[in-house]
Amino acid sequence: MIPLVLGITIVLFAVIQAAPGGPEGALLQSGRFIDPSVIEAYRHRLGVDRPVPVQYVRWLGSALRGDLGISFSTTRPVTEMILERLPATVELMGVSFALAAVLAFFVGILSALRQYSVFDHLGTGLSFLGIAMPVFWFALIVQLVFAVELGWLPVSGTETVGATSLGDRLLHLVLPAVVLSLRYVAGWSRYLRSSLLGSLRAPYVRTARAKGLDEVTVVGVHALRNALIPVVSIMALDLSGLFSGAVITETVFAWPGVGRLFVQAMFARDYPLLMGILLLGSVMVVLFNLVADLVYGILDPRIRYE
Amino acid sequence: MSAAWRAGCAALLAAAAFGCVSGADDAGGGADGRKILRVAYEREIDVLNPFTSQNLADIQFSMAEGLVTTDEHNRYVPVLARVIPTERNGLIVRNADGSVDMTWPLHENVRWHDGAPFTSADVCFTWRFIVSTGSQTYNRDQYLGIRGCSAPDPHTVVFHWDGMYAYYDGLFEAILPEHVLGGMSTEEIVNDTPFNRGPAFVGTGPFRFAEWKAGEYIRVVRNDDYWRGSAYPAIDEIVWAFVPDANTRLNAMRAHQYHFARILPTQVAELEGVGGYDIHLISSNTFLHFDLNVNTERGRRLFGSRDVRAALFHAIDRRAIADLLMQGTVRVAETPIHPGNPYHYDAVPTFDFDPELARQMLDAAGWTVGPDGVRVRDGRRFAFTLLNRAGAADRIAVAQVIQAQLKDVGVEVRFETLESAAFTQRWRSGRWEAEVNAWFLPADPSLTGLYACDGPNNMTGFCDLALDAVMKASDRTAAFEDRKPLLDRVQAMLAAEAWSLPIYYNVVPEVVSRRIGGYRGSGTNFGSFWNLWEWTLDTPEGARTPDVRRALDATEVPDASGTGATPGAPR
Repeated sequence: MIPLVLGITIVLFAVIQAAPGGPEGALLQSGRFIDPSVIEAYRHRLGVDRPVPVQYVRWLGSALRGDLGISFSTTRPVTEMILERLPATVELMGVSFALAAVLAFFVGILSALRQYSVFDHLGTGLSFLGIAMPVFWFALIVQLVFAVELGWLPVSGTETVGATSLGDRLLHLVLPAVVLSLRYVAGWSRYLRSSLLGSLRAPYVRTARAKGLDEVTVVGVHALRNALIPVVSIMALDLSGLFSGAVITETVFAWPGVGRLFVQAMFARDYPLLMGILLLGSVMVVLFNLVADLVYGILDPRIRYE
Repeated sequence: MSAAWRAGCAALLAAAAFGCVSGADDAGGGADGRKILRVAYEREIDVLNPFTSQNLADIQFSMAEGLVTTDEHNRYVPVLARVIPTERNGLIVRNADGSVDMTWPLHENVRWHDGAPFTSADVCFTWRFIVSTGSQTYNRDQYLGIRGCSAPDPHTVVFHWDGMYAYYDGLFEAILPEHVLGGMSTEEIVNDTPFNRGPAFVGTGPFRFAEWKAGEYIRVVRNDDYWRGSAYPAIDEIVWAFVPDANTRLNAMRAHQYHFARILPTQVAELEGVGGYDIHLISSNTFLHFDLNVNTERGRRLFGSRDVRAALFHAIDRRAIADLLMQGTVRVAETPIHPGNPYHYDAVPTFDFDPELARQMLDAAGWTVGPDGVRVRDGRRFAFTLLNRAGAADRIAVAQVIQAQLKDVGVEVRFETLESAAFTQRWRSGRWEAEVNAWFLPADPSLTGLYACDGPNNMTGFCDLALDAVMKASDRTAAFEDRKPLLDRVQAMLAAEAWSLPIYYNVVPEVVSRRIGGYRGSGTNFGSFWNLWEWTLDTPEGARTPDVRRALDATEVPDASGTGATPGAPR
């Protein structure tokens, strides 16, 4: 796992550095006149005028000591910046995943049990719509309907500053969580339906029914457990985003999470911050893949790791 | 189901059922009745230090004050200075050796937010920081003419300049506290997180720092010890919420979630008819321009001739761009200096839309129409690449119009669109052929940095030594009556050379709640929050009579001669 993460950091650093432009671009963003000597001094202070391998070795040396460096744009420790954004991301992603899991299991299982029924066709249609629909567009539509027209929910942010309450915070969570969960519901329910259909046709399910087991036990214990294995793989990969955030949803809803921080870092060419966030995301992908492997063993006792 | 979860669901349902979503105009202030001004701001700023921040410093200026600011008429007005020095009021003295002493009298009853007195030593400390290597101050070079700073008493500061510098009254837009930062090196100040981030940040302004919630908002609260008197400010708190997405800001204003936001010119029509707001079209000191580059051999071959450049400019219908594309929200520009600035000169050569004339001029220059409709000369096609900044929707739309109109006269324009940082890098390298870009000018009208041969922001390769001499003379002339003719010549020469085509003066639509009083929108780099100390926020019932729509026009300069009572008016 460690060589894998190390390899990922080399690729990430190279890709980030290969992108045209540098952090000095931030100096010219406001459109004001800039003293050119300030630009050169800025590049030198940040160390981006040194060869890329030298920059990488310096970064890696710090990272191995647990120091992800100092953000170019805010002059603050990267670790501190990521940690202060994590709660918002975990809150949004956690609620979205929970919501998506409930809905996906409901739609997926019912669609498989009632194959080719009206509900199945409806579920299939809505799933494709959910996968195909651009997130930013769907986000703007729900803002228009539920915030602007109906006035039920706030457009953006996590709270009404100065009038915060639990209800206020929950209301702010509704739209981004629904928008974010849509894509997961669509994807997971399709996988679950397909996988469960396969299990329901398997000989061991026929045997279970022949034994006289009730349908709930047949589906819930025998069929579903086996059908979950491919779904768990997909969910584990998606769950790694629990810590790396949702770039578009967080930006559209002005949600102060890691995803939005990533966008800011990208436009500012804030290399240490970009590396910090991407490293976090990479480690999470690797970790959640490990978790998925472990869950396989629980779901299917035949799977064992030597 | 846990008790906490049940309580959460109940609260959510109750809130939804009773429609208690807090909107700025619905709920107004805070839960305790405090007057909270809610601003939907376009971005999260980087640091609070106004000199090291790379963003426009609207938020910082609610807490930090400088010697001067600019008002809604593009005039410098004193803030911590009691009066802006001029030769007329005797505070500028020319010495025999050509050097100049400028004396700034300061207000005497000013205190920093931590109670320490503000003195002339703070001003000299700020100057030392700015000019030190590594201060990261974007316009550091403009301070380098100051050879020394002395503080004869706590409320008087004297700058010793190496000569007259016209922009002297636009400097020191903020002052740093020596008692907080004085013991640090420049590097330490630049990286000082407590000051950059807020807990140790002190200014002399009407609001004090309260909270910075990363990614979400900055909150400032009333400075009860403000030097203008206990009646100011009239607002208890300001929440600067970071709402980067333009569509989200628009929707948030439709939902009355904020009192103030800036939107895009193309969004103005979508907010018309939404109650509770006025839309102010602030004529910004930003002008959009079409640049041609002669840095490369290919650029010189295409654009080296003045007549060819003029022909291209005659082929572009700027009126249509302003009236149709920008929906009449902007004004066609003929010179970089805004009409609201008293240094604007309108008798310059213009490039009226005349495609037939453009064709004739190109024919005369030897560019004849080839078999595919594109002009050729010496076997080479008249085709070039126009550099675009990704995401700048208005500029790309203008570029598309230019592309279509130049095609109509036989010139092929290709696009190369680069993400912002990559665009900046390419632009600075000078390796491009044409661009649509915009400059944000301060209230001072100097154009030297943009068009002088050695101008730090002249990336086009154009150079005219005669023009250089006039521009640099204007920078060394402070008196309005002497500087105006020089800058008139500069504008006339620029237009005659046809180096760059000004397209329009940008507008920034500001959506302002009718509950706000005291708003006087400004198009300079100080922004519309320059007078926050006198803003008010009425209760919804007490909101002033709504205007259908007010468009502030910066051309309404009450005193262009500089002889009026307002200190710091143009000289």
